[in-house]
Amino acid sequence: MGKIGTRAGVAALALLSLAVAASATGCASGKATGGGGGEGAGAAGGDGVKTGPGVTATTITVSALTDLTGPYASFGKSQTQAQQLYFDQVNAAGGVCGRKYELVVRDHGYDTQKAVAAYTEVAPKSAAIAQFIGSPMITALKQRIDGDKLLTIPMAWATTLLGSRAIQVTGTTYDVDMINAVEFLTKEKGITSGDKIGHLYFEGDYGESSLNGSKYAAGKLGLQIVEQKIKATDQDMSAQVAAFKAAGVKAVLVSVGPRQTASLVGVSLAKGMDVPFVGSNSAYSPQLLATPAGPALLKDFYYVSAGTPVSAGNAAMQRLVADYQAKYPGETLDSGVPTGWSAAMIVDEAMKKACEAKDLTRDGVLNAHRSQSGFGGDFGTPMDFTFFDKPATRSSYVLKPDKAALGGAVVFKEAEVSGLAKDYPVPVG
Amino acid sequence: MSEPTPTAATPGRDSPAAGTPEPGAPAPSTPAPSTPAPSTPAPSTPALSTPWPARGTARPLRAVLRLAVLAVSVMVSVAVPFYLEGFWLQTGLFAMSAAIGAIGINLLTGATGQLSLGHAFFLAVGAYSYVFLSTDLGLPTPLAAVAAVIVAGVSGGLFSPIAGRLRGAYLGIATLALIFVGQHILFNAEPVTGGFNGRPVPPMELFGLVFADTPELVVLNVPFGSLERLWFLGIALLAGAAVFARGVLRGRPGLAMNTIRDHEIAAGVMGVPVARYRAGVFVLSSMYGGLAGVLVALVFQQVVPDYFGMLLSLDYLAMIVIGGLGSVAGAVAGAAFVSLLPQLLTRYSDALPLVAEPGSGGVSPAEAARILYGAAVVAVVLFLPGGLAGLATRLGRVRLKELRWAKSAPAPASRR
Amino acid sequence: MAVFLELLVNGISVGAVYALIALGFVVIFKATEVVNFTHASLLLAGGYVIARLHPLIGFWAALAAGIAAAALVGALVEFLILRRAHVGSRGVLAIVTIGVDILLTTELTRRIGTEVLALGDPWGDRVLRLGPVTVAETRVVALAVAAALIVAFLLAFKFTGWGVAMRATAEDAETAALMGVRLGRVSLSAWAVAGALAAVAAMFLCVFPTPGLDRGTAAAAMKAFPAAILGGLDSTTGALAGGLIVGVTETLMSGYQSELAFLGRGIGDAAPFLVMIVILLLRPSGLFGTKEPARV
Repeated sequence: MGKIGTRAGVAALALLSLAVAASATGCASGKATGGGGGEGAGAAGGDGVKTGPGVTATTITVSALTDLTGPYASFGKSQTQAQQLYFDQVNAAGGVCGRKYELVVRDHGYDTQKAVAAYTEVAPKSAAIAQFIGSPMITALKQRIDGDKLLTIPMAWATTLLGSRAIQVTGTTYDVDMINAVEFLTKEKGITSGDKIGHLYFEGDYGESSLNGSKYAAGKLGLQIVEQKIKATDQDMSAQVAAFKAAGVKAVLVSVGPRQTASLVGVSLAKGMDVPFVGSNSAYSPQLLATPAGPALLKDFYYVSAGTPVSAGNAAMQRLVADYQAKYPGETLDSGVPTGWSAAMIVDEAMKKACEAKDLTRDGVLNAHRSQSGFGGDFGTPMDFTFFDKPATRSSYVLKPDKAALGGAVVFKEAEVSGLAKDYPVPVG
Repeated sequence: MSEPTPTAATPGRDSPAAGTPEPGAPAPSTPAPSTPAPSTPAPSTPALSTPWPARGTARPLRAVLRLAVLAVSVMVSVAVPFYLEGFWLQTGLFAMSAAIGAIGINLLTGATGQLSLGHAFFLAVGAYSYVFLSTDLGLPTPLAAVAAVIVAGVSGGLFSPIAGRLRGAYLGIATLALIFVGQHILFNAEPVTGGFNGRPVPPMELFGLVFADTPELVVLNVPFGSLERLWFLGIALLAGAAVFARGVLRGRPGLAMNTIRDHEIAAGVMGVPVARYRAGVFVLSSMYGGLAGVLVALVFQQVVPDYFGMLLSLDYLAMIVIGGLGSVAGAVAGAAFVSLLPQLLTRYSDALPLVAEPGSGGVSPAEAARILYGAAVVAVVLFLPGGLAGLATRLGRVRLKELRWAKSAPAPASRR
Repeated sequence: MAVFLELLVNGISVGAVYALIALGFVVIFKATEVVNFTHASLLLAGGYVIARLHPLIGFWAALAAGIAAAALVGALVEFLILRRAHVGSRGVLAIVTIGVDILLTTELTRRIGTEVLALGDPWGDRVLRLGPVTVAETRVVALAVAAALIVAFLLAFKFTGWGVAMRATAEDAETAALMGVRLGRVSLSAWAVAGALAAVAAMFLCVFPTPGLDRGTAAAAMKAFPAAILGGLDSTTGALAGGLIVGVTETLMSGYQSELAFLGRGIGDAAPFLVMIVILLLRPSGLFGTKEPARV
């Protein structure tokens, strides 16, 4: 009987191929070439603007692949809401190129498989990705993003994301931040040649990029780095503090999550290791100020970021804050708000430029984007998009937690490029 | 007491394809592997309208029926890549890979009764070995894939001294070490594994056909990218894996495995070489894991260590419980359920009640999927012993029961 | 030497918390032979109730409420689900607890959202100085509580009717039932007790040196698995020993990771599992576990 089954199966297969052939050539399949409506690459619409995937006569679809249920949920939520706000405002003002934006949000919960699946879903119908959280996820998709020529703004700042024309890392990379941090320590916190400084970092891109920077700066300044690597699931930093204390570090760099930062700083002070701490921009979250570690963080903790804090006084930021609070009353205002907003702005600017050139294909959008050299300034240090093998900027703010300030932080030292960061050869890819 | 004849309580059995309970177009592949079902006195044949069906007449009838089902399922699975968009193909491929892995762990946990939390480790071994063997050692990709499956089997074998010494819950938790130590190695052995970011996966090349987007290929006016091409590879692998596992489960080994599960000492007394069987099943299940790993790597195009963690292992256990313990159809059904559910919910979140837009504070699609899937595990053990596959069998059996005069299906046969 | 001592003391203090979690596993395993994966969500449930209630009713009342709530959740899981599950083996029951855990954890993390919740404990960030070594007061308390609870359980198992019933069930459920032990009641009480223990453990897990309860807290329950098993899944003394071994191993490996760089960075997380494997190879039922007799 098995034999009958097999033989019949073969026969069935043959029959069926015929059936499929008949139906597919009958153009029943939406996938058949030319069956995709007016979205064929390079087709010009009624207004003479060439359109590509994600652009129709009336809409431009922009996607956000974000984390709303995983470890970066708070950041992802602020960013997504800020971007929704941005596109709503543009649409209310008439849209761009005679079209309205449509933001498609997909939550991957910091899960690589879900992110890959979500990308596969949204990529064919998107004109750009205004937000993509998660360095491992983006790395997994880097080749495809490049091949799809889909302008993507990653919300991760590892150097491994550089070197792709379609991927625009905003602001500084983690290593540049850490170089600026080390220089800040030597200039303002009395760290001198021969001193030891600790570096607590996460396993993975974020931590290792940061470590590259601190090691480079330490080498140039004659400092010694004491490394402690942890995982995102570690909660209690007692052992790490003991090791730092034993090594006699004079300051500690922090490239971990907010929880671990809180534990580190709290335990250090409690154990009498009263040194300055400087964190990467992902090491701090204003929610920490409400925890028992709050007072410790207010003491001698700083963090380095290219993003302007929401407490900054410039008019554009104040307007954003007011609009955001009006639309999302009671929501936390953290650094995700200006970061998300400015990423949406980058996408919007690219679309506007591409529209002027009457070319909204993916190539057109990328070309338009890569033609800008002096972007922004209100929400972060000014960026240059004409190259993609180096960070778009090298200057970062030094920020300090502040309970009274909006977003829980204020500028401690205005943005500048440290002498070291200027000449730092950034490793790419 | 030592009677090996199982009670009807436990596993769902392999029902003919009609019974594969995962409906809906997205995974039309699933019926395919379970179709070539040989000679269970399958009760689900609707043609049984007389109390004593003459076997001679029932056979050809069933054969025709089975043929029809086979034809339909093959037809559907061949047609799918011509119609569905990439997203669904990819989801389907993830489901196929999960199905292969689930069949493997169902042999171990479902049929032999050995809990394993380390399945994700063997997927990792398969995936990374494929990348290493093809990229660094330059093996032709099909050979690298076969070798990767063997490497996974060997690593399962290396664990067997531990597996042989431990029992029950102790072994189950000991396999956790595979996950944690394994991930530690994946993160740290950078020259081989690429560390945190993993490594790109070279596309499979079989008889001159490259399973990638380039060179371009158009079949019947439909552009065939990597997903469309991999679809057929996935179907073939899954079908092969399912047929083999079914052979194992229905033959002497399957009987021996079930006896070990139901009563290990009795099995030993009856002459089943218990230790050898346990080690053998562990190796076989690892190889299935390895194959699933190779397939998932080909679909991902990049292997990353993050993926092969604890959650993946737990997912596999949930799959076989939801689908039905100890059977191939159960593993496939469970894998389809667990892989498709979150994607369906995410995709259609706006059309569903109770599921909120992501970020709006309500239950997001991802959370809804997790809750449903946890609830499914619970619901199955409370209301549906035998899982989805068992449900299908029972639906078939209900009709038969009304007609049954004599006990025509002896329990042991149905068990296998 | 001072570093070693400091790390050792810290390891012991972390280990005390792991021991409390492991104790919960052990109680359930002893009574029902089920490996309980739901423990992670019981931790989260207990911690969540404490965190939400302490601003309203004060820390101690909130702690009591948290313990009661987690015990109730544990009992409900047993009563509504495990008792009614139609499964063939304990292994499958373990998978069922995975399902329950996913269900509960998803809902609790959704409620916690992105917050870090403080527990309002009275110890704050005070530390105890013992010569060159400092250790957080919370951890000293945790160690004392873990030791006290374990002694209490040892006594209870020996001298109370409940303990005897539980031991009898662990020995041979069928015979125990024939002798008049109500198996349902034994298993229900074991789950309730495990829930209560989980709440106590959660409290110690979320106070200083960690910043508070958040969605990641449940991950710590994973570390109690090697702790429970290397002590012996059915031994309360084993839970304490296992917890301490895991805590010390982890802390020493993390503290000396620069010296142990050849093992790879971040070895602290994998090391407890390696120790677990080695111990299991030498003693397949853990350090203090009873060897399962072959039953025919």
